[in-house]
Amino acid sequence: MNTFAQIIAAIVLACLPSALLADDVEFQRIALTLSEEGLILLDAEIAYDLNDTVSEALENGVPLTFETHVQMRDAGAWIWEKDIIDHRLRTVLRYRPLSGLYELRNRQADESLSFATRSAALRALGRVVAMPIIERERLNLDREYLVRVDVSLDKEALPLPMRPMAYLKSDWSISSESWEWRLRP
Amino acid sequence: MAVAAMNRRRADVLAALVLVALLLASLHMISAAVLRSEGLGQWFIPLLMFTVFGLILLFGLVGWNLWQLLRDYRQRVAGSRLSARLSMLFLLLALVPVSVVYFYSIRFLSTGIDSWFDLAVDSAMEDALTLSKLSLDLHKRERLKASVNILDSIEDTSQTAIALSINDLRAASGAVEMTLFTLQGKILALSHVNPDILSPMPADGGMVQQVVSGQDYVGVATGRDGRLLVRCLVLDRAQRDIVLQALYAVPESLSDLSGNVQDAYEAYRTRAYMRSQIKFSFALSLSLVLLLGLFAAAWAAVFTARRLVQPISDIAEGTRAVAEGDYDKQLPLPKAEDELRSLVSSFNSMTRRISLSRNALEQGRRKLQTQHNYLETVLGGLSTGVMALDSAGLIQTANRAADQILRVSVAEMEGKPLSELGVRSESLKPFVEHMIEGFDQGVREGRAEIALYRGGGRQVLLCRYSPLETDPGRVVGRVLVFDDVTELVRAQRDAAWGEVARRLAHEIKNPLTPIQLSAERLRRKYLGKMPLEDGIVLDRATHTIVQQVEAMKAMVNDFSDYAKPTQLQVEPLHVDEFLGEVVALYEGVRQTVSVQLAAPGRVVKADPVRLRQVMHNLLKNALEATGEQGRILVSSRLGTEEGDDFVEIAVSDSGPGFDPELIGQVFEPYVTNKTKGTGLGLAIVKRIVVEHGGVIDAENPDSGGGRVTLRLPALAQGAGLERGPRAEGENA
Repeated sequence: MNTFAQIIAAIVLACLPSALLADDVEFQRIALTLSEEGLILLDAEIAYDLNDTVSEALENGVPLTFETHVQMRDAGAWIWEKDIIDHRLRTVLRYRPLSGLYELRNRQADESLSFATRSAALRALGRVVAMPIIERERLNLDREYLVRVDVSLDKEALPLPMRPMAYLKSDWSISSESWEWRLRP
Repeated sequence: MAVAAMNRRRADVLAALVLVALLLASLHMISAAVLRSEGLGQWFIPLLMFTVFGLILLFGLVGWNLWQLLRDYRQRVAGSRLSARLSMLFLLLALVPVSVVYFYSIRFLSTGIDSWFDLAVDSAMEDALTLSKLSLDLHKRERLKASVNILDSIEDTSQTAIALSINDLRAASGAVEMTLFTLQGKILALSHVNPDILSPMPADGGMVQQVVSGQDYVGVATGRDGRLLVRCLVLDRAQRDIVLQALYAVPESLSDLSGNVQDAYEAYRTRAYMRSQIKFSFALSLSLVLLLGLFAAAWAAVFTARRLVQPISDIAEGTRAVAEGDYDKQLPLPKAEDELRSLVSSFNSMTRRISLSRNALEQGRRKLQTQHNYLETVLGGLSTGVMALDSAGLIQTANRAADQILRVSVAEMEGKPLSELGVRSESLKPFVEHMIEGFDQGVREGRAEIALYRGGGRQVLLCRYSPLETDPGRVVGRVLVFDDVTELVRAQRDAAWGEVARRLAHEIKNPLTPIQLSAERLRRKYLGKMPLEDGIVLDRATHTIVQQVEAMKAMVNDFSDYAKPTQLQVEPLHVDEFLGEVVALYEGVRQTVSVQLAAPGRVVKADPVRLRQVMHNLLKNALEATGEQGRILVSSRLGTEEGDDFVEIAVSDSGPGFDPELIGQVFEPYVTNKTKGTGLGLAIVKRIVVEHGGVIDAENPDSGGGRVTLRLPALAQGAGLERGPRAEGENA
């Protein structure tokens, strides 16, 4: 495909609603639990299914940054009111050619894990265990809260030259549907 | 109108500039979104959409301008062709370099980016990575062997004892971390060079499975500090169901080198993979900038061309307006102080002067028209006919009186030769011939009295002609002036004869009675006293005197009859009946008097007594002219001349005819070839005929004898058939 045709195709694709195309990430299990210390914790099992384009980029050394976004807000709050909680868990998945392993690096904890296979790395990526959300005592027990969790590939973390195509091509719009529920602490 | 157009043009320019500025800002933000990505990434698509939409809008603006240009071009609006040519020129000037730059930029980027990657570099990178792997493999094998030996060296069967010795084993082996765990994954012991670290670096399930299946695992991992480690997973060969994971630091030099090779390989591999995306990004940016540049240049080209040409269009429009007679056209002055402003200013000055001249000319024309109308009114009011001929003798103009006098529409004959008048009206031939004869003879100025014989009677014209000079010595034609002096001549003649009659009465008639009485007294007194012979002489003499006096009295009475104004008692008269009655009185004469009447029922307006006198005079003359065997014919007929009906009465005789020398003057008083008579018979006849509005002519026909013909105007058919009350007397 020549350059001009690519541009036109990319512009046409950009016009399509991304929601129609985004179904690469699914929540298989998600739970909020209260720890003995009074912390509300998030546990989740998330299935990632990378399409060929993204897989090819990963195999060619492109680091992929996935972001788990957790928001909590008062259910009756106005739209302009600030969220009570706005956590972003960012994890980088990359392939290390020297070792032949897939590496997961948690940007917050600066921890890395290596995996022999991509599927093992994706399973580990989708496993959220006891992620602290908020102390229960910070919440008003009489009120209802809205918790929203969604997961997506951070396109802005991609290398610069890839971004225009990533913005335009739906293959790079990897995200989950928002998981929402109401919490009465 | 012009102000509104100017405001609209300003609004268009402002809108286009705002649009271009917005597009530039959008492109800049797209660039920022791609390059810096600080929260702008999410705006990439909206910005791109906005840019595309803005470009479409700009394209529409350009298209609209081009369509207007094309429409003006087709409608041949002033300046549109120049605008189109300039626009095309500007467009080419913008399009060609931009296209060349775009083409070569894309090509350069494509080839330049491709040149970053070639087979040799690919191979070198692969070789470098393989070399690093080989170096590490050697190290890995050594570490794996050491790990197996460490596990084998542990002789305790108790897991607790093994756990207690792990620190020593780790320290002895130089490992960074050493972990013992069961096949179920339960950690039995952990030793780390950093005592603060309490959790081991977890092994992937796949690695553990490999070990459980009986195959030891050795691989490279990246430590928490980013340095390379060798990970060894060894299954206990003593069947104690434990697995040892040992992590060894790769020697620093090897780690650094291998890390560098890995980083370089990753970077190269990633870049090679992103080759198409890099090209796409550049192409997208360049294409957007190109389109923005092109559309903006196209719009600017059309706008600038139209703006530049506007004064020229105005001048063309103004020139056209001037050509169509709008001399008040003033063009708006361009703001820029340049040659175009000077040109427009000169044009305005020119139209102002033309307008002033036109106004002066118009005033002059109106003045001339007024004078012309004045002259025409004066000429139209004249009773004198005026006719102008050009140098070729063609009729140019004539006044109303000319039409009335000549009884033809001279205006219809404009541009035709004067001789055409004679063709139109036979009776005008003497007039035309006299004029043409004068012209042919080179007479500069002439004057003549010309008698015309028209259907309605004799017409006398007093004509003058002279050269028509516009400038002294420059003759452009001739002007003919003529008056109908028929009435004047008649009045003069009547006055002359009236004077004759008056003098006769006064000078001659008055002494006649005393002469006669004296002669009779002499005769009575001396006839008886004188001797016989003398008495005879006296008697003869006095008798002669008395007789001659009687004759003179009769002559004076004739003059009196001729000269004194008569009172005509006109009434409708059936000509043929009248002629029959008159001729019937001559049945007893010796000559043969016959009639040939061909105007049955036609009526003339005449005084029967006077007309009877005319007929008796004519018949008497004819009887006297013919001998005893003579023949006299009285005839009548109807005729039409110039639309007027007339009745012609002719008295022909078989006598010797009129004296050819006198035939032109037989109707003049005292013109006669008879020995007897006063010489007033035919003059009186003519006068009576003229008084009736008729004409009379005498001729000697080829068949011999003489003939007198008179024409009287005939009343319309059917008019005057009933005898009404006798008309009041009219002055002839």
